[in-house]
Amino acid sequence: MNKNNKLLNIEDLRVYYVMSSGSVKAVDRVNLDIGKNEVVALVGESGCGKSTLAYSILRIIPYPGRIIDGKIYFNNIDITALPEEEMRKKIRWRNISMIFQGAMNSLNPVMKIKDQLMEAIIYHEDAIDDVEGAYLRAIDLIKRVGLDPSRVLESYPHELSGGMKQRVVIAMSLLLNPKLVIADEPTTALDVTTQANILELLRDIQKEVGISILLITHDLPVVAEIADRVFVMYAGKIIEHADIYSIFKEPQHPYTDGLISSVPSLVEGKLKKLKIMKGEPPDLINPPSGCRFHPRCPYKMDICEKEEPPPVTIKEGHVVNCWLHVKR
Amino acid sequence: MGLREYTIRRVIELIISLFLFSTISFIIFRMMPGDPSSLYLEEGILEPGMREAIRHMLGLDKPLWEQYLIYLKNTFTFTFGVSFLYNKPAIDIILSRKLLNTLALLLSSHGLAIVFGILLGVWSAWRRGKVFDISSMLAAFILYSLPVFWVGIVMLLLFSVKLGLFPLAGTITAGLTHENILQYMADYLHHLILPATAITLIRLGGDYLITRNTMITVIGEDYIKTALAKGVPEKIVVWKHAARNAVLPIVTWVGLEIAVIFSGAVLTESVFSWDGIGKLIYDAALWRDYPILEAAFFIIIFVTLVANFLTDLAYAALDPRVKYD
Amino acid sequence: MTKEIRLRQKRKYGERFREIKEFLRVYRKNRLGMLGLSLIIIYVIIALLAPYITPYDPFERVADPFLPPNPEHIFGTDELGRDIFSLTIYGTRISLFVGILATLLSAFIGSAVGIVSGYFGGLVDDLLMRITDLFLIIPGIPFLIVLSVILGSNIWNIITVIAIISWPSTARLVRSETLSLKTRTFIEAAKLAGATDTYILFRHILVNVLPLISASIILTITRAIILEAGLSFLGLGDPTKISWGTMLYFADRYGAMFSTNPYYIIIPGIALSILGLAFVFVSYAIDEIVNPRLKTRRLR
Repeated sequence: MNKNNKLLNIEDLRVYYVMSSGSVKAVDRVNLDIGKNEVVALVGESGCGKSTLAYSILRIIPYPGRIIDGKIYFNNIDITALPEEEMRKKIRWRNISMIFQGAMNSLNPVMKIKDQLMEAIIYHEDAIDDVEGAYLRAIDLIKRVGLDPSRVLESYPHELSGGMKQRVVIAMSLLLNPKLVIADEPTTALDVTTQANILELLRDIQKEVGISILLITHDLPVVAEIADRVFVMYAGKIIEHADIYSIFKEPQHPYTDGLISSVPSLVEGKLKKLKIMKGEPPDLINPPSGCRFHPRCPYKMDICEKEEPPPVTIKEGHVVNCWLHVKR
Repeated sequence: MGLREYTIRRVIELIISLFLFSTISFIIFRMMPGDPSSLYLEEGILEPGMREAIRHMLGLDKPLWEQYLIYLKNTFTFTFGVSFLYNKPAIDIILSRKLLNTLALLLSSHGLAIVFGILLGVWSAWRRGKVFDISSMLAAFILYSLPVFWVGIVMLLLFSVKLGLFPLAGTITAGLTHENILQYMADYLHHLILPATAITLIRLGGDYLITRNTMITVIGEDYIKTALAKGVPEKIVVWKHAARNAVLPIVTWVGLEIAVIFSGAVLTESVFSWDGIGKLIYDAALWRDYPILEAAFFIIIFVTLVANFLTDLAYAALDPRVKYD
Repeated sequence: MTKEIRLRQKRKYGERFREIKEFLRVYRKNRLGMLGLSLIIIYVIIALLAPYITPYDPFERVADPFLPPNPEHIFGTDELGRDIFSLTIYGTRISLFVGILATLLSAFIGSAVGIVSGYFGGLVDDLLMRITDLFLIIPGIPFLIVLSVILGSNIWNIITVIAIISWPSTARLVRSETLSLKTRTFIEAAKLAGATDTYILFRHILVNVLPLISASIILTITRAIILEAGLSFLGLGDPTKISWGTMLYFADRYGAMFSTNPYYIIIPGIALSILGLAFVFVSYAIDEIVNPRLKTRRLR
C-alpha cells in the first residue's frame, strides 16, 4: 500500500482511447504526486495527454477512453476502485474540483449561473446540511472573485464576458472547499490583462484557503508565476519532474530545455534567443520506439531508438527519463 | 427587437412567400398538358360538343391573365375555385374530413417518432459504443433505408390479410353506423394504428440518428464534463444538461421537415386508402383538377410556413441566447 | 501566379494523395463501411450482368400467374406469369441508375449554388438562399407527382424531378462549409497572389468542400432510390422499364396481397432496402472518418 502523506499519488497510470483503427495511448505509465498546499504544474504540448490525465483523476474520461491499469491514490485511497456513486458523492467537487480548458464553454448556455452554482451543492446534500449557508457561501465566493452577485447570479452565461465567466468558474470550483483544484489551461482564450488578473486571483486564493492545485498548461510563463513543482509530459509520458527553480535553471531533458528556450525568458529579465522546436508531436496510436522524443531530439543516440530510458535521479526531487543521463 | 415586431415581420414575410408560391403554382398547374375537358373527352365521359360548354363553365376559355387575377382573388379569400371533379368549392373538399384525417395521421405518427427518437438517441449517444448504442444504431440504419409504402404493404399483408387484426383500408368501417362517439373513435383508432405505425417506424430512424449526432457533439462540450466533475448524477447530466442542448437543433430540423412530412403522406395514404390530403392531391393531379391542387398546395405551404414560425418561437423559448432578429 | 504559389500547390497535391491513402487505410478497418461497399459492388455486378444471371426473360410470360415459390421459379411468378426473380434482378439496373444519376445531378446543382452563394456572399447569397429555402418547403412528392404529370413518365424526367427536390439540402451544406473555408489563410494567400475567383472556387474551395459533403451526398443516393421507387409505386414510373417500385405498383394493383404468391410483394422491397442500407453504411463510415467528432449533419 501507498504510505506517505501526499494528497494525490498517481502510480503507473495508463489511459487509452480504444478505437477500431488502433488505441491512442494518451497516458502511458505515468507517475505523479501532489503534496498538500502545493501547486504542481503539468506542462507539455497540446495533444500530449495532459487533459486526459486530469479527466482520469475525476474519472470523467470521454468516449472511447478508459483507464487500462494503474492506481490513483487520493489521501491514500485508491479512487480508481471506488464505486461510481461513491466517487460522485465523496470525490467529485467535494474533494477534487476542476476548472476546464477555456472556461467560455464550461458553463451550460441554457442555465442561469445561480442554478449551475447551486447544483454542486444540491447533489452533495449529504455533505452539506445547511443549503441556505451554502448559498450564502456562493455569494461570498462570487464577491471574492470580484463580481457583483446581484448581477451575475441571475444571468445566463452569454450575458457575461470571458473574464467574468472565468471568475464564475473559479468561484464555482471552490464552492465545496475542495482539497485539490485541477486547473486545465485556466487562462487560454483570455486577453493578456485578464490572464494576469485571473492568475493573481488563483494564487491569492490558493494561499488564503490552503488548497493544492494541479495546473495544466503549455504556457511556461504561467508556470513560472505560481507553480512549486513541474512535471513535463511528452507523448503520454512524464519525462522530467523537479522543483520550479531546477526546471528553469537546470533543465536536464532536451525536450524540457527546448520548451524553456522557446519562450522569451522573463525569469532572467532578459530575452533569450528563440529556439523553435523542430518536428511535430508524435502519433500516439503508434508512438516512436524507445524514447518517444528521439525523432526530434538533437542529441539522439542509437540506444534512444531501441530502449525506453529509465528514470534517473539527478538530485533529491529532480528526476529525468533520458539516456544522456544514464551512466553506463 | 421585441417579440411583437418580430411577429409582425414574420407575418409580412409569410404573406410574401405565400404570394410567390401561389404565382409559381399557378404557372406550374397551367403548364400541365391537357385540361380536364380534354381528359374527360378521352375517357369518353363527354360528348365532343359539350367540351366548349365545360371549358366555359370552368373559366378555362378566359385569357390567362384574367384567370390569374381570378385565381389570386380566390386564393387570398380562401375560396379557391370550384373543383372540376367534385363540382364543389375546393376549399370545402379539403376542409371537409381530408385535412383533419391527414393531420390525425401525421401528428400521431410524427409525435411518437420524435419523442421516441429523442429518448433513444439521447441515451444511445450517452452509452456510445455499448451494445445498446450499436444495436439501436443498426436498427435505425435499417429503418432509414426502408420505403414507407413497402412497410405499409407488408404490414397490411401480415396484420390485415394473414392475421385479420386490422382493417385493410379507409378511416372508418364502411356501412357501419356508430352508436356513440366512443365507438366511432375506437373504430377510427383501429384504422389509424397501421398507417401511423408505418410512418412512426420509418421516421424513428432519422429522428433517432439526428438526435444521436447532435447529442454526441454536445457531450464533447466542456460544460458536460464540468457537470460530471461537479458530481451531478449521470442521469441529471444526460437529461438536464445534455439533452436540453441537443434538442435545440432538432427543433429547427423538425420545422424544416414539415414539408417532407406532408409529402410522405401521399404514399402512406395511398397504400392504406387513408382519405386525406395526400390521396386527394394524387387523384387531383391525375385528373388535372387545378382548383384542388392549388388549394391543397396552398394549405400545405401555409401550414409549413406557420409551423416554421412556431418552431422558431419554440427555439427562442428554449435557448436564452436567441434574440429576435 | 507566383512560382511560390505553384510550388505550394504541388506540395498540396502530394499531401492530398497521402490523405487519400490514409483515408483508404482507415476505411478498410471500418466493418460497416466495408460491408456496405461490398454490397454495392455486388449490386453493380448484378446490374451489369443481368441478362446473363436471369434464368428467364423478365418480359415474357413463362408460367401460370401468381405461382408460389417453386424449384423453377424461386420467388414464384407475377400476375402475368413472369418470373419474379428475373424481374427483381433487372430492377437493380433502374434503381442504381436513377439513384446515382439523380444524386450526381442534385450534387452538381447543390454544390454550384452553395459554393457561389457562400463565396460571393451579399446580394447573390441572399437571392440564392431565398430560392433554396423556397425549394426546401415545397412538399416533395406532391410536387413530383405534378411535375411527372407535366413532363411525362420517362426515366430522364424522373431523374430530373428527383434532382430538383434533392439539391437544396446539399446547397445549404456546401454554403456553410464554403463560408468557413473562405476565411482560411490559404484562400487569402491565393487571393493576394492574384488568383482569379474561378481558380479559387475550383482549385481550393471545391476540392476541400467535397470530402466534407461526400457522406451526405452518398446518403442522398438512398433517398433518391427510395423516391424513385415511391414514384413508380404511385404508377408514375417509366412504363417501359422494370423497376422495383413498378413491380410493387402492379403487385398492389393486382392484389398480390390476396394471391397465392405474397413473395411478389416482399422480394422487391427487400432488394430495395438492402441497396439503400448499403449506401447508408458507406455514408456512415465516411462520416466517421472525415468528421470524427460527428458534427451535426442533416439527414434528408
